[in-house]
Amino acid sequence: MNKSQKFFVGLGDKTIAFFTNVYDMTYLLLQTIKALPRLWFYRRQLIEQIYIFSVKTLPIAAIIAVFIGLGATVQGTYQSSDLLSRAITVNVIFKSTILELCPIVLSLVLAGKLGASLAAEIGSMKISEQIEALETLSLDPVGFLVMPRVVAGLLMLPVITIFANFLAMFSSFFVSAVISEWISPQEFYSGLEMDFKTFEMYFGNLIKPAVYGLMIALVGSHFGLQTSGGARGVGESSTKAVVISAILIVIWDYYLGRLLL
Amino acid sequence: MPVLKGIDLDIHDNETLVILGPSGQGKTVFIKTLVRLIHPDSGSICYDGEELLTLSHKQLYRFNDRIAFVFQNSALLDFLSVQDNLQLYLLMHKAISPRDLQRRTLEALHFVGLDDDVLDKFPEELSGGMRKRVAIARAMVKRPQYLFYDEPTTGLDQTNAEKISELIKMLKKEISATSIIVTHDIKLMRDVADRVALLKDGLISFVGDRDEVSEQMLDFLYE
Repeated sequence: MNKSQKFFVGLGDKTIAFFTNVYDMTYLLLQTIKALPRLWFYRRQLIEQIYIFSVKTLPIAAIIAVFIGLGATVQGTYQSSDLLSRAITVNVIFKSTILELCPIVLSLVLAGKLGASLAAEIGSMKISEQIEALETLSLDPVGFLVMPRVVAGLLMLPVITIFANFLAMFSSFFVSAVISEWISPQEFYSGLEMDFKTFEMYFGNLIKPAVYGLMIALVGSHFGLQTSGGARGVGESSTKAVVISAILIVIWDYYLGRLLL
Repeated sequence: MPVLKGIDLDIHDNETLVILGPSGQGKTVFIKTLVRLIHPDSGSICYDGEELLTLSHKQLYRFNDRIAFVFQNSALLDFLSVQDNLQLYLLMHKAISPRDLQRRTLEALHFVGLDDDVLDKFPEELSGGMRKRVAIARAMVKRPQYLFYDEPTTGLDQTNAEKISELIKMLKKEISATSIIVTHDIKLMRDVADRVALLKDGLISFVGDRDEVSEQMLDFLYE
């Protein structure tokens, strides 16, 4: 086979793999929806996943949120202090943080933390026959492993994002109104109130993180279930889960903005 | 390339059938096919006249209530303690009082010769032999009609292998299950089998009583 033939064969393989993954992920999502009526049956697993998706991610979310708030404020005040009024600058910082920075940065970091561990956990279960063991115990692997993770991701990422957004704005207030006294607390508050749209709050705090949470859990579970081989296979699945989740998050970030705002 | 080629085998109630074959001949594929963990390209698998391959997912899970499978690597759920591994099936499927749950857990644990202090341990804290024993206890808790063992003595030293083969015999007596074992361990076969099937090149080359198996017939295991 010459070089150009090899190129086209490789391209064909990649295209087939891409569509197979899309099909498998869609099928897994449908199976997860089908397993939803059994949520009560798998409540122990759900509670455990809610704990992992919330309590265990809070410290990371807190650190990221505080520094997003600080960074956005320093940058915002530096860039626009000569161009815009202080209240408008606060409003720009507020909206860019709530609608874009916090949800996306947090989701990308959690895609790395949760997506990788999820794919590795399910992947190592796959290669050590634990998933087959679940089947012989009359337990549906999708119901037992995937559905609680997807539901936890869907529910908990919005909660974490609300918490992170609150912290980011608090740190922004702290650096601009308390430490540097660049703006008064009253002006800061009026900047937050300016052009306030309730739907935007739902969009940034609930809709976006819910979609990203679903994606992180679904993609991680999918690549975990596709794992084959040994430790190397588990490593590959984790990497794929992180990379694909991150790509999907930034793509959906654009489309959600286009569709809903 | 097909792994198994036209296997025709009857398994009798309450017997221990050992399927003996060298590595790489499809023993694991065969035993997993028997419980539909692997779906064959064609053929038929019947339990008491009921076709396994046409069962819906729901029916398959109901069928799985009648079986227990001891995997080659034990396949204990590594995020659960030994106690949770043993109790998982009962907790998820049976309306059972906490007292009965504990009684059945301890009964199974003591049956396989393990002490109560193992209950709080996680699988990675156990030796290979202990993990295998917990896997047998997990199977026992289900009180299945059919018990499947995939290479139960592989990777164990002689002492542990002997313990496992003793447990297989004791468990059969205790719960009167039909046991199907795939292995390449001749000693295990001699210890536990009622009947033996020899698997060679994807085909069953012999089925008969344990005593009918001569040393020459087993030469293919060393080829």
